[in-house]
Amino acid sequence: MAHASQKCGWCYSQTNYFSSYSFSSLNDRDYLFHRLIGLAFACALGVTFLVLACALPEYNNWWPMFVLFFYVLSPLPTIVARRLSNGYDSSSSACIELCIFLTTGIVVSSIGLPIVLAHVAVIKWGACALVISGNVVVFLTILGYFKVFGNDDIDYSMW
Amino acid sequence: MSGFLDNCRWPRCECADFGEKRNFIVSVISGVMFFTGWWFVIDAAALYPDTERFNHAFQTPGVISTVAFFMINSVSNGQIRGEAYTTGCMGQTGARIWLFLGFLLAFGALIAASWILFGFYVVGNVDPDWPGIAVFLQNALIFFSAFVFKFGRTEDLWG
Repeated sequence: MAHASQKCGWCYSQTNYFSSYSFSSLNDRDYLFHRLIGLAFACALGVTFLVLACALPEYNNWWPMFVLFFYVLSPLPTIVARRLSNGYDSSSSACIELCIFLTTGIVVSSIGLPIVLAHVAVIKWGACALVISGNVVVFLTILGYFKVFGNDDIDYSMW
Repeated sequence: MSGFLDNCRWPRCECADFGEKRNFIVSVISGVMFFTGWWFVIDAAALYPDTERFNHAFQTPGVISTVAFFMINSVSNGQIRGEAYTTGCMGQTGARIWLFLGFLLAFGALIAASWILFGFYVVGNVDPDWPGIAVFLQNALIFFSAFVFKFGRTEDLWG
């Protein structure tokens, strides 16, 4: 029986994996795959909190969606600093510290925006609390992403 | 009588990792303070957008304080002492003058913010006094953030 998984080498290996279901055959690639799924779930949960803060009938106000701008911006300083520091093997440098400073600022801004919006009474305090919970989940996800996938010794050819 | 506190010691703190992470922690604290200062003023400006209650000219110390932050932190201590590999674009004397101007602007902005709060909002008994407090807090936080970022980090970790 020829089916699509025969063409995709990865799917073929996965169907073989599921047919011989034993934990002893988990390897590094599977751990990374499971963690990627976990991170994606956590990110979806965080954005769900954000959408709830906008879409619940007692709030019904889409201003909190601007926090998405800070979510997208927050990994950028770290990515730029890691790219620029290739070749330095010191534990820290001025570039890395500036990157930490800017990332902290972006996180503080994503907390400050809902608080200011609630203080000015554009959104309600309940929506502000939901947005801040969503922020915590999403930033933990981004931190988790860098912990899991940040190391340079991941061999991308295994995908 | 003199020296009677000489044998008092703080309780022992076994944080062996503090040395390696010192620059990281200092960058985070400095980032939190800097951006919190700015969000206080953003809050005050959002609450009182008219110029009668929050004169738009009062934003100036915050901007100058931010410029001073970047001036102070753009020269490393090595440049000032003359220990850096290159002399930079202005040399050691130029770096010292740059740092001096940065400190000048930082102190000037802090004094201006204090003047705004006490000379205008406190003495004049202006009723929404939150703008004055916000401007003062902004400048104080940015000032201390600049000092913490400059003197809290150690360049020994830069390798």
